[in-house]
This record gives sequence, C-alpha cells and structure tokens, in this order.
Amino acid sequence: MTNGSGSTSIGMTRLAGLIAARIGLLLAFLAAWQFLPPASLRFWMSGPVQIVERLWSWIADGSLWPNLFATLLAMALGYVIGTVSGVALGLTFGFLPRFHRVMAPYISGLYALPKIALAPLFVIAFGIGIESKVALVAVTVFFLILNATLDGVRNVDRDLVQALSLMGATRLEVIRKALVPGALPWIFTGMRISVRYAFSNTLLAELIAANSGIGYLIEYYSGTFDAAGAFAAILVLVICSVVLTELLTRVETRMARGRG
Amino acid sequence: MVAADSETAGAGSEKIRLAGAGKRFATRGREVEALRPTDLEIWPKEFVALVGPSGCGKSTILNMVAGLLQPSEGVVLYNGAPVAGQNTRVGYMTQKDTLLPWRSAADNIRIPLELKCRGVGRAEAASRVAQIIDLVGLTGFEHHYPSELSGGMRKRVALARTLIYEPETLLMDEPFGALDAQLKLLLLDQLQSLTQARGMTVVFVTHDLAEAITLADRVVVLSARPGRIRAVRAIDLPRPRDVFKVRFTEAFAHLHEELWEELKDEVAKGTDV
Repeated sequence: MTNGSGSTSIGMTRLAGLIAARIGLLLAFLAAWQFLPPASLRFWMSGPVQIVERLWSWIADGSLWPNLFATLLAMALGYVIGTVSGVALGLTFGFLPRFHRVMAPYISGLYALPKIALAPLFVIAFGIGIESKVALVAVTVFFLILNATLDGVRNVDRDLVQALSLMGATRLEVIRKALVPGALPWIFTGMRISVRYAFSNTLLAELIAANSGIGYLIEYYSGTFDAAGAFAAILVLVICSVVLTELLTRVETRMARGRG
Repeated sequence: MVAADSETAGAGSEKIRLAGAGKRFATRGREVEALRPTDLEIWPKEFVALVGPSGCGKSTILNMVAGLLQPSEGVVLYNGAPVAGQNTRVGYMTQKDTLLPWRSAADNIRIPLELKCRGVGRAEAASRVAQIIDLVGLTGFEHHYPSELSGGMRKRVALARTLIYEPETLLMDEPFGALDAQLKLLLLDQLQSLTQARGMTVVFVTHDLAEAITLADRVVVLSARPGRIRAVRAIDLPRPRDVFKVRFTEAFAHLHEELWEELKDEVAKGTDV
C-alpha cells in the first residue's frame, strides 16, 4: 500500500505527518464533543469519556459479549445458509434451463424487493430471537448469491459446453467441469458483496425487534434516553465494521493476486 | 426422415452421407439459404477437404455432421443412421479453440479421458497425455495455462485434446487458419501422420487450396452463398506426402490450377471475403 515509498526517509516523514494529522483531527473532534456542548445538550449528546466508560463497564461485567456474539452469530448463520442455498439453486437453474425460464420473473421480482420489508413478518414467524435475524440475512444473501451464480453460469462460454458434450460429457459432467469452475469468480464476487449486506441487515433486524445483539443495545438505550449507552453500542459497531472491511480487503487482495 | 432411414439402410458403407441436406437460417425475418440441398458421401478413412469462399456453408456441413445443427431439408447420415442430437463419435476441432481457461495444457488434454463414458484410469490417462504432448510437440508447456500460450500452441493443445480419445472421425474447421506458414506446415505434417496411422476419417474445412490439396484424398469445392458443390476432385498424389515439398511438384501445380479455376469465380462472388 505504501508502494515502497515508506522505505525512503522522506516517505517515512510524510507517513508520520499523515498519521499525526489524523490523530490530531480525532483528538480535536473528541475534545470539542467533550467540552463544547452546553449543559442543556449534554443529555442528548453524551461525551466521549462517558461513552468509553460505559463501554468499559460492559466489558468489565461481561454484558457486551452475549450481545456481540448474538449479532455475529445471526450474521454468520444467515450468510452461510444464504450462500449455500443461492449457489445450489443457481447451479440447478444452470442444469435445468427450462425450470429457470419458468421461475425467472418471480426470482427477479423478489430480487428487487428490499428484503428489510420482510423483517416484521419474520418476527411474527420466528419470534424476536436470533432466528428472525438469521432468516432475514439468509434471504438477503440468497438472492445476491443466486444472481451472482446465474450471471456466472450465463457467462460460461457456450462453445466450451458444446465442446464438452461433443466429447461425450454427461450434463452433470458439463456442470462439474465447465459451469462450476467458470462461475466461481462470479460467486466469489457475490460472496464478497454479500458480507456487507449481511452485516447491515442483521443490524436492521435487531433494531426492529430483538432481545439481544448490538442493534438491540442501540435500540434499548435510545428507548431509555441513555445517549452514552447508545453511542457505546454504536462504537462497538464501528469497530466491528472496520475489522470486517479490513478482513474483506485482505481476502480481495489475495484473490486478485491468485487470479492475476 | 423415416423414409430416408429405410431407404439408406442398404445404401453402402459410407461413413458420412449428406442426402439432399440443405440449411436455411432466419435472420431478421429474412430467410437466408446457407446451403443448397447437397449430396455428398465420405468414405471410412477418407480425408476430404472442403474449400470455398467465406459463408459458403462449409462450417454448416460440419455442424450438421456433428449434430449441432439439423438440416432444414434432406438428411445427414452417419454410419447409415440419421444424425439426431450431438454426434459423440466425431471429434470436432472448431475454428475457435475451446480450451478451458482455468486448466493447464495437460489438464485440458486430459478432459476427454476423465469422462465417465470412457472410464480411463488415472495412470493410463497420465501416460496417454504424456504421449500425445510429446507427439504434438508441447513438451515443456504441460503446465502452462491457455492464456500463457501462443495461438499456435493453443491449436496444438486443441488438436491433442481431440486426438487423445481417438474419435473415428475428425471434423476440423479451419484449424490452422491464423498460424504462420511454417508452423502450419509443421502441424499439417503431424496431422497427416496421426490420422493416417489411426485410420481416421477426416473432414477438413479450409479456404486455403494448397492446404487442401496437400492433405486430402478428395477436394470438394463449394460455391459462394448459397453453398452448393461446384466440383469434386480426387487427389491422386502418393502417400505419405511430404507436406513441405509436395507443393513444388508438377502434379500439385496441375491440381492447384485446375481447382483454382473452379474456385476463383466463387471467391470473386463471395461478398464477405
């Protein structure tokens, strides 16, 4: 990322300056937040010290972990279920093009639907526990992955398929040897994009109705007019998304290198 | 079709037979006749070259023999039976190479042997792949991916992949069209010896008359669109032919001149040459 300029002394100085500027800006922002607001606004805005204190108290008494775990578990389960079923149906459609033609309008109709609209229904069906979040995330990811898989299958050169079947390949062999490997880059792209959707939809589902999770904490503390609590939960969220983005970037770079 | 079937049951032992086979395509609501109803017999172990200007229906004939296209009229017979659906007895080397980009050269060549319908064991497949790689001169490039190979190398991979499962009939659609002259001769030489050694029937489409005469037992000249057979000429040059020198012989020059007389008007007529 530093393009080797970090090895020269000028590059090092510049980098140090950049980091100093960033930290300075952050400190100035935090100081302004802490000291500038008048007492009348303090109730709504809380302050960095109070927020960190609150977060620390959650860590100290261990109450943060079940909520963090609930959010991450719902996201992970929904992601895995959605990915597996999306790939499976996408390949089935590749295998049975006529079935796909029948289903296509319904699939694209449901694909366009903002899945968050289903969240209240999932709460009715599965309750306010983790199941309704898993369901929402799974449905969201499912359609993204299904479309990615279909794009991938469509993108496989028809001539390759034809060549394979002229060699005597069965349909299953055509799928295994041409469609799956050909669609794989598309599926990976879909999986990468889906992580972000899975994360935000888990949160949204928790905000609507939940009994645990980071979204639940935000909703709960906002409901009790406890700004420090709500901000502390948001801080957890910021840390989570930074970690997630960083992980994704690493995976992407590795994949790009592997393909190039 | 049923009538044609029974009628041809005792028609002889030709490998491929076009019986009044023609093809029309509908493009933008207009019907274009690609191939006039055509009669042609190709015998077992025969090497037939189809020459003609672009768009004369050469590829259409191959596609019909491979079962990728159905004739609009007439019938195409293979081993005496109408071709219905993809004809897996032929090896088809198309103009465009259809290598799988995510497989190395050796892995591409091995594909036909991996298929259940052949059931070749791992060890045997490996030794056959090694053998054919040596044969087409790809040694040292086994682990290269298609994107890392030159056009000529890719053609060799495609040729090796077609030859490795020893299909009884080889359909080739301008397989070496885009290659430089020396490399082309080298591959033609390999093709001649391989197909002769294995007693394959070959239908070879080209627009290069010299290439056709060099390799073929019979050259079929097709007219410009709509395609029809304009001339058929047996090539009685003795085998094995030296592909590097045969074109400088007097007999070759005569054949070339004779066939060029047939071809030149058609080339002039072919608008999209």
